[in-house]
Amino acid sequence: MVKRTSALSDALQLAWVRLRRSLTTILLTAFGLVAAWALLNLVIGGQCDGKCVVDALAQTLRVATPIAFAAFCGVLCERAGVVDIGIEGKMLMAAMAAYSVNLFGFQLLQDALGPVAAGNVSRWLALVMAVASALLLAGLHAVFSIRFKSDQIISGTVINILAIGITGYMYRAFLAENLPAGPGTFPLVPIPLLAEIPVLGPILFHQKPLTYLMLALAVGIYWMLFYTQWGLRVRAVGEHPRAADTLGIDVLRTRYINTLLGGVVAGLGGAWFTLEAVDVFSPLMTNGLGFIGLAAMIFGKWNPFGALLGALLFGLGNSVTATVSIFRPDIPSQIPQMLPYLLTIIVLTGVVGRAVAPAADGQPYEKS
Amino acid sequence: MTDSASPKGAVAGRGWFPLLQRVVDLLSMPALALLTAFVLGAVVILITSGRLETVGEAYWGLLRGAFIKQRGFSESLVAAIPYVLLSLGLALGFKTGLFNIGVEGQFYMGALAAAWAGQAIQGVPALVHLPVVLLAGAAGGAIWAGIPGYLKAKTGAHEVISTMMMNYIAFRLTEFIISGPLRAPSGSTIQTPRISPAAELWALWDIPNRLTAPLNALTLSLALGFGAWLIARAAGAGGQHAPDGASAHTGIGVPVSPFAGLIARITHHASRHLALVVGLGVALVSFVALPPLTRLWWPFTDEYDRLHLGLLLAILAAVGVWWLLWKTTIGFELRTVGANPNAARYAGVSITRNIVLGMALSGALAGLAGTVEVIGVSICRCLPLFFSSGYGFDSIAIALLGRNNPFGILASAFLFGAMRNGADLMELNSGVSKYIISLIQALVLLFVAAPAVVRWMYRIKAAPRAAEAPLTRGWGG
Repeated sequence: MVKRTSALSDALQLAWVRLRRSLTTILLTAFGLVAAWALLNLVIGGQCDGKCVVDALAQTLRVATPIAFAAFCGVLCERAGVVDIGIEGKMLMAAMAAYSVNLFGFQLLQDALGPVAAGNVSRWLALVMAVASALLLAGLHAVFSIRFKSDQIISGTVINILAIGITGYMYRAFLAENLPAGPGTFPLVPIPLLAEIPVLGPILFHQKPLTYLMLALAVGIYWMLFYTQWGLRVRAVGEHPRAADTLGIDVLRTRYINTLLGGVVAGLGGAWFTLEAVDVFSPLMTNGLGFIGLAAMIFGKWNPFGALLGALLFGLGNSVTATVSIFRPDIPSQIPQMLPYLLTIIVLTGVVGRAVAPAADGQPYEKS
Repeated sequence: MTDSASPKGAVAGRGWFPLLQRVVDLLSMPALALLTAFVLGAVVILITSGRLETVGEAYWGLLRGAFIKQRGFSESLVAAIPYVLLSLGLALGFKTGLFNIGVEGQFYMGALAAAWAGQAIQGVPALVHLPVVLLAGAAGGAIWAGIPGYLKAKTGAHEVISTMMMNYIAFRLTEFIISGPLRAPSGSTIQTPRISPAAELWALWDIPNRLTAPLNALTLSLALGFGAWLIARAAGAGGQHAPDGASAHTGIGVPVSPFAGLIARITHHASRHLALVVGLGVALVSFVALPPLTRLWWPFTDEYDRLHLGLLLAILAAVGVWWLLWKTTIGFELRTVGANPNAARYAGVSITRNIVLGMALSGALAGLAGTVEVIGVSICRCLPLFFSSGYGFDSIAIALLGRNNPFGILASAFLFGAMRNGADLMELNSGVSKYIISLIQALVLLFVAAPAVVRWMYRIKAAPRAAEAPLTRGWGG
């Protein structure tokens, strides 16, 4: 009994220490939110009422979704010591795969299943194919950087260029014109009861499936990385592969698995573009969100929750931008559009504390 | 082709063999990478089109468009010029240990700065205006790259992400400036005002006409003289070894004539400053001889040929980068910082300064590429809203294919320029989308970046050479 209490108090103490450590981040976030709101109202002349704020925050979470997926992909890869700069390419590839499977799958299934069921089936099928296509590129990256020990940043760049080439080619060949009507994106899935909560409901529980999945993944990856044996091994491989190897952990296998898992997550992020955001694919539609995701990962110090926070920050920047351009059409749209990218650079400079990457990040492992 | 040459070299003699061996060694990997990429490209075309003939039509179209059709060859050169400058920038970055993935943004900023400087001043001769515009473009790129360089040196913000972000900011910024503050007042198309004729980079066919003005002739001859100086300097003429003139002066003892001493002294100085003498000589000769000679005979007569003096600029830039990196202290410091920052720090080399310098120089070259596109290639002689792009990523492949060597880059940039130029006719000829080119280029990069893959594919044993310095570094900087 005594032992249990002490364990409990230990846990509480640990939680308190953690909370205190992240207190600065929390305070900064709160401050940032208030500042953003004040700035927004200043710019648009106080037209942003309660509903507008709630809408903007819901939009924030929506836009943060692909960035967070990208950041999670980064976390998974880099915690195991593989730098992945090809997230952008993987997402682009997945976006195209999702779009085309959704569209053509729907055409094939429409007669057999009827439009509603066909739409549902093709959307989920599209999600699977998006993940598969990103997985393919992740596999390429893994083979190049783990098996052939090529420069990981170059290899990631190759993935990006390859994805631009493939998606551009496929777009021109099949997706540019004469397209039949597609089934559209995922519908909103309000969660029963929770969606009725006054402010939080519309923000958190009135979203599309991938957004929920993203939130679940943040918890899942955090738990996996920091509370399971698997996570301990992964982190060991990322920090000190030699030591991990000595202890019998298969370094290369761990890296392969994590790079591929990252691919899966990036695929989900890519699917967001054409299965949740808009119902068209256009070349280069990922618009640097993969890179912003990497910045979010660095911002979050390679921790899923931190990465999510970073993603939310960029999402906020984005939704503020959108709100500004709605209320102030006289401001040239390009000016607020620069904001998220500027924010990324500021975040990278370590204004919010210097981040330290896993020690073996980006170094190929040579088994001795 | 190089593979068939090697046995011949072995027969020819001992002296040639090592050289040939080296050439084969240098070229075999890029050649195999290219070959593999084209074969895989053919497979993709075959799969998506379902016809074997399409592959032939596509590649034949590519070849015809790049070299055979009217103005094909010179258009390939035109496309290669920005590639050369951009990939020189990337190579310079790589040598400094920096992956300047944002050359595209610097290209835009250079173009923007050049478009502004080209129309802001009117009525000055090309002798002043052309250098000003080139400098403005270079400065635009240098600043745009210098900021991430400074941030990297001071705060460790990784240049891959920050220059990428600078890219997106540059796109929005140019879009805003072209459609807002710098929009040409007349005309329905959204573009900047036309630059002054004095700021244009001359098309080669136009040179005889331009040279009728003495100031223009002076401009060109100074440029040629500068080029000659640079090449002579880079070739190691002057400076290094003891001048031969000195022996004539002291060896005989008794001067043959009162002028001999003077002549010896002149030759002494001349050989010390040989590069300068060569440069001045070339400038003088071309100033006197070029205008009448070009009026008499000039090979470029086609008024629709867009090949321009940027070709000269690109070649000079390659020589200049080579000279800077391998023949000067600045270059040595840059390369030291790139190869081993810790050693550089212990040797008292400022990491911060060199990172900023490396990025700025890299960006300046990219900015020059944008400048050349505005003042030499664009039909409106301005910066239009939808400026052709997509050079940035290709340049990475070019720099790596050229092994970060300026002269290798000249060759690989021409190859990529030819591919870019031939793509249109390929699409027309075979219906294969020209995006297949970017696919092939990505594959080239893939195989060039990972020589181990090519070796594994063709079962080539790794050459026993020292491990190459890493191209890039992780987030730690």
